[in-house]
Amino acid sequence: MSEAVVPPRALWVPFPLGRPLGAVDDSEFQKNVMRAAFSLLDTAIKPTIEDYEIKAPHDDLNENWSCPLNLGPASSDALSERLLAEVAMLRPWAIETRHQRGRTLFGVTGAGEDQIDDLARAFASIADAGDVISEPVVDGISWAFEMPLLLRHMADDLRTFYHEAIAAQPGDSSPDHDDLNRWIFSETVLGETLLLVADGLTEASDMPMAELVRGLLIPEGHYNGGSAFPEQVDFPIGQQAPAD
Amino acid sequence: MVRLSDLHPVEAEHLLKRAKDMPAVGPGDWVTPPSVEEATVAIVSTAGLHRRIDPPFTVGSLDYRLIPGDTQFDDLVLSHISANFDRSAFGEDPNIVFPIERLRDLASSGEIGGVARWHYSFMGAMPDPSQFEQAGEEIGRLMANDGVDIAFLVPI
Repeated sequence: MSEAVVPPRALWVPFPLGRPLGAVDDSEFQKNVMRAAFSLLDTAIKPTIEDYEIKAPHDDLNENWSCPLNLGPASSDALSERLLAEVAMLRPWAIETRHQRGRTLFGVTGAGEDQIDDLARAFASIADAGDVISEPVVDGISWAFEMPLLLRHMADDLRTFYHEAIAAQPGDSSPDHDDLNRWIFSETVLGETLLLVADGLTEASDMPMAELVRGLLIPEGHYNGGSAFPEQVDFPIGQQAPAD
Repeated sequence: MVRLSDLHPVEAEHLLKRAKDMPAVGPGDWVTPPSVEEATVAIVSTAGLHRRIDPPFTVGSLDYRLIPGDTQFDDLVLSHISANFDRSAFGEDPNIVFPIERLRDLASSGEIGGVARWHYSFMGAMPDPSQFEQAGEEIGRLMANDGVDIAFLVPI
């Protein structure tokens, strides 16, 4: 990508997506990455992509990560009941993370910080009914997105809640993106729910953006072992966010 | 910028295909800023980052959000559409994506001249980055008016 764009000075880093400065809570490591980038201002005399070879510390600590919570065996309860039960098990940990950080990333959909149950119930209902067209009606929530893109952000708010629950748990190892995806899609009711919503988007493929949103909903490699994007992606350009 | 070898193989294949189809953008005019020790730096993020009061990004967004230099981390959220990057790191330490505190550190130690008053956020995931030309030129003018010498682009 950088080669195609030809930026004047670029640092090519060995860090995963979502971690461009390499290491959380390590100010010296982050500053060293920035120093390396800024040093190109002194050394580069033409468009340059420089290789940064220093790996983030504790890069391998997540090798043995697994969620310590037993989220329980499968039951015959309805999907929404099982998803709400899972959310209830994670809730004390999510609350602890919010308390420690003094902030949360939850709520991009428009849901309030205490509306995780409402969000989970609405998302499970969509998965159960396969109705990816009708906007869910939830008391007290004014959605920030229109359908079907709302589905993608409902999923993100739910994942944020799960990620924040995991973050407070004790242990030296912490999950990376792959660990979190493996956990969500192999051990949680949320993963089952996400895949059902994705199937609903497949069924509704005549609806504009349905298959694109499916690709935005499911991380690469986790939809039938491959990509959830359609072969041909019609990517709308220049859309504005919906007005309040 | 992340390496393809660090991505899920399906994602790497997808991005390689997109890179081949991507129209050439640069190089732009070569500009040499003042020395880093004297330069004012602004962050330009592509993480779909914005304040809670701002409208979220949507599919194909070409616009940007302003992030004042004194924004508190508890006011920042992400509405990037991609499911393929790890938001948990930003949740743990927002500096890993938006290193405003690190810029302040470098300014305090005299390693950079100063921190801009305004910073900017786009949402990446655009198959054709040349679509950002108009908005990019616009924030270039805004940064010039803000006395910015260096745009520190932090892709997600």
